[in-house]
Amino acid sequence: MRSPFRPDNVPDAAVLDNHRPLIRSLERRGLIRGGLSLGALVMLTGCDVKRPASVQAALRAISRMNDEVQALLFDPNHLAPTYPSSMILRPPKFNAYYDVMDVKPVNGETWRLELSGLIADKRPWTVRDLQAMPQSSMVIKHICVEGWSYIGGWTGVPLRIFLERVGADLRAQYVAFKTADDYPSSIDMATALHPQTLLAIKYGGETLADPFGYPVRLRMATKLGYKNPKWITALEVTNTYPGGFWEKKGFPWFAGI
Amino acid sequence: MAVLRLLWLCVALVPITAPADAQSTTPGGMPPPPGMSLAESTAMRFPQPVRVGDLIHKDVLRPVASQQVLGHVRAVVRAGDGTIKIVMSFGGFLGIDTRQIAVPVDAMVLVGQDMEVVAFTPKQLAGFPTFTASGTTPVPQDTIIRVGLAKPSH
Repeated sequence: MRSPFRPDNVPDAAVLDNHRPLIRSLERRGLIRGGLSLGALVMLTGCDVKRPASVQAALRAISRMNDEVQALLFDPNHLAPTYPSSMILRPPKFNAYYDVMDVKPVNGETWRLELSGLIADKRPWTVRDLQAMPQSSMVIKHICVEGWSYIGGWTGVPLRIFLERVGADLRAQYVAFKTADDYPSSIDMATALHPQTLLAIKYGGETLADPFGYPVRLRMATKLGYKNPKWITALEVTNTYPGGFWEKKGFPWFAGI
Repeated sequence: MAVLRLLWLCVALVPITAPADAQSTTPGGMPPPPGMSLAESTAMRFPQPVRVGDLIHKDVLRPVASQQVLGHVRAVVRAGDGTIKIVMSFGGFLGIDTRQIAVPVDAMVLVGQDMEVVAFTPKQLAGFPTFTASGTTPVPQDTIIRVGLAKPSH
């Protein structure tokens, strides 16, 4: 039986012949293949693939925009969740860009924290100087960009109190750090002044152990783990973007949580 | 063209939301170099104090990216020669045919909430005798022992 939906005037079959090469190239498999290669590209974005400079520049521009949006969303008075001290993981989890065997312990007796940039009193600090400052404790979650986390208990000098004591220009944009393991890092001033940002010198009530950054490391409740440098040796207040170890390799700079 | 642009945008957004696992430029949980004793290799791994009771029930992982679970810590014992061994469940499937083996604590590391066996492969562990308590003394839960560290293996 003739279909009731069949039009009375059918197009000329020659139309099909005219467009046969185009029709032949239309394959559902092509969509799957395209999707797969797009997926492969997505999988490779974290690797060191050679990409056109224009793509790199576009990615960096989007990352910078992401940082700016995160900075806008950051509430300097909002506190990250805290936990009971019974939940502190002892010892904490070690991580670095190298394995633990390559940790070079810092001698606390000879160690000095060098200060530079927009700071009035640039005298270097000793471990005893830091211990004599007002201390604050917090039990917070350490969240790593790799996908794991643990709850840790940190004690140290609130960075705000430290910056006020040394007469830092609190209107400056950045606080930058240098470390004994060559892991430069930097944060925005708003986060530096947040109450849950410490120059930590103790973990779980005990002096920080060598693999975790003795004598002093940064601990923030509001940023990802890789933003917390260990074995800090120098601090600078600046308006020039200082970047950081992973940031140079394409990681986001703000990295808020 | 608009669709292509949208696809590019999706690609561009990925590294910002998931910047991969590039934290590891060198692998963690490497086995001790040949000829080095287990105690010497632990000494290089900044052994940290840990309460024995906090080790019980920890997952024991294989130090590879897939972090395959080899078993769980069941007990900590002191062997006749004075060394400390971690008694862990091993092998089997869904608890069937699973047995307990005693692994020297210096063959293992702490990686946050988990432990890893770094000095023996799963094949070598399969050759370990089934643990019997005779000749060993359990280490009390409140005892503090020292265990080496490693960075995550992924």
